[in-house]
Amino acid sequence: MRNQILWLVERALLLVISGIVIFPITWMFLTAFKQPRDAYSLSLDFTPTIQNFITVFSEPWNLGDMVFNSVVVAVVTVAISVPCASLAAYSFSRFRVRGRKFLFFLILSTQFIPAVVIVLPFFLMFRSLGLLDTRIALIIVNLAIVTPFVIWMIKGFIDAIPVDSEEAAMIDGASRLRVIKDIVLPMAAPGILTSAIFCFILTWNEFLFALILSRSDAVTLPVGLVSFRTERGDLWELMSAAGVMITVPIFVMALFIQKHFTRGMTAGAVK
Amino acid sequence: MAEVKLVDLEKRYGEFYAVKKQNLIIEDGEFLVLLGPSGCGKTTTMRMIAGLEEISSGDVRIAGESVANKPPKDRDIAMVFQNYGLYPHMTVRQNIAYPLKLRGVRREDRDRQVQLTADKVELGQLLERRPSELSGGQRQRVALARAIVRTPKLFLMDEPLSNLDAKLRVTMRAELKHLHHELGVTTVYVTHDQMEAMTLATRIAVMREGEIVQLDTPKKIYDQPVDLFVAGFIGSPSMNLIDGRVESGEFQADGVRVPVNAPDRESVVMGVRPEDLTILENTAAEIQGKLYALELTGDSTLVTLKAGNSSICARGPAEFEAEIDTLCHISIKPGARVHLFDEKTGRRIDE
Repeated sequence: MRNQILWLVERALLLVISGIVIFPITWMFLTAFKQPRDAYSLSLDFTPTIQNFITVFSEPWNLGDMVFNSVVVAVVTVAISVPCASLAAYSFSRFRVRGRKFLFFLILSTQFIPAVVIVLPFFLMFRSLGLLDTRIALIIVNLAIVTPFVIWMIKGFIDAIPVDSEEAAMIDGASRLRVIKDIVLPMAAPGILTSAIFCFILTWNEFLFALILSRSDAVTLPVGLVSFRTERGDLWELMSAAGVMITVPIFVMALFIQKHFTRGMTAGAVK
Repeated sequence: MAEVKLVDLEKRYGEFYAVKKQNLIIEDGEFLVLLGPSGCGKTTTMRMIAGLEEISSGDVRIAGESVANKPPKDRDIAMVFQNYGLYPHMTVRQNIAYPLKLRGVRREDRDRQVQLTADKVELGQLLERRPSELSGGQRQRVALARAIVRTPKLFLMDEPLSNLDAKLRVTMRAELKHLHHELGVTTVYVTHDQMEAMTLATRIAVMREGEIVQLDTPKKIYDQPVDLFVAGFIGSPSMNLIDGRVESGEFQADGVRVPVNAPDRESVVMGVRPEDLTILENTAAEIQGKLYALELTGDSTLVTLKAGNSSICARGPAEFEAEIDTLCHISIKPGARVHLFDEKTGRRIDE
């Protein structure tokens, strides 16, 4: 009896919380398919249209360019950051070098610096390099933000891999790099993949630096959203359509993580 | 196949010596067991031979060649780990084939050799499985197969049986022994189980606090332990060690009077193995005391007496029965070995 009540309370709470979380997202999805005149109405009774999506992808909004910028910045950032971070994480995890702890702390400590503090130096730096409003500038900045985080994350996964298999491989005749390629990477793959997706999401949603460092050529999706706040007022239906474009890839990836995250790769290595 | 030589081999962690100036020659084709309690440096010694642990000072020579500065992959060795160290993302076939693959053996040759080796350790049917789908004993076989799939100069085995259940351990022990006989490769084996050491070794090196205390054949170590530590460590149930003194050709302690061939001396420990003692109920004998415990092991009964402060265990006939606390006598079998040790130094006193 008591258990049943607890069960009910638990479910009810979960429902309430899910409702609070899901409601704004659902509302955004609905608004994306509304006509401008329905955008402010609270009624669910409207004729859906895909006109908003057509509008945002055409002049003067050109959301396609922003999608392209976002994709390029995020993909290149992940492609550089994850391999580097994997090697760094392996070193931190396995090599007992003097000053290792301090170095690791140093890398983490970069995460404590508030972005607003360094955004101006970054702006001046890229201005003198002539890199303002380029995707390269955004990639560099994102690498600096994301890599320490990914190192930290992947190190956790590599720490969990038993050293025995690596030592066995070294005795079997593998060099250190070969061990990493044949043994460590396949075993850490789910973790590395998860980290890569987190890295992608962070970069994809990055707003502040993109806002300051881009003007027209390198504008990414989150920054692009702001342009729907015009002198004619906030164009909610267009903003929602763009919002959907930002959210959908993240949703897909979240599903992907869930599937891979639960699968343990290290089972059966030892004992 | 090769001779292995340790020259003044040392491992230090700051002030702590894990392995002290070790000199040891492991002969070609020998099965040498490093035996000792945990923390005695036996695994560290083996890991230095393997190249998994850095050498603080000294040298390791395999087949006359110094390998101290070579990475493990260039030492031409194979190793079986306590926790197997399998590759969980590979099938059994890929696991066993990995050392061959790294040495650039052609695919067809690889497959043939893997099949041959797998059949030898009865894994032939399981080649497409993954380690997670195998039992502990099967995993150990995979680890073993991976070690013997090629013929290295040296086998290293780090407590390979300690994760198996008691029954499987005995079977695998026999298999290891047979395998060593068949392949004839020099083997270094680390264990803390004196039974494994006794049954497998051609020679045993008993280690304690980073040093080899005694290096000899199992028989010699059993019959002539050099000190109290070795005496107490080897044998199950372990040797009876009784504190007393030697006076006019007799070892004396509470309830114990054993004729020995030694000069008078205070602070002596006498050691005698349970199997060298017989239990007598009514006849007076060298040792007398109150019956403390009876343990039937099937083929015999372990009888423990309390004589003064010491408890003495004898292996008696399975039929032996008596009430606890009755007075019993233990006599030393004719021809039995009675060992005398100095109580302070622990060293053996030779007659």
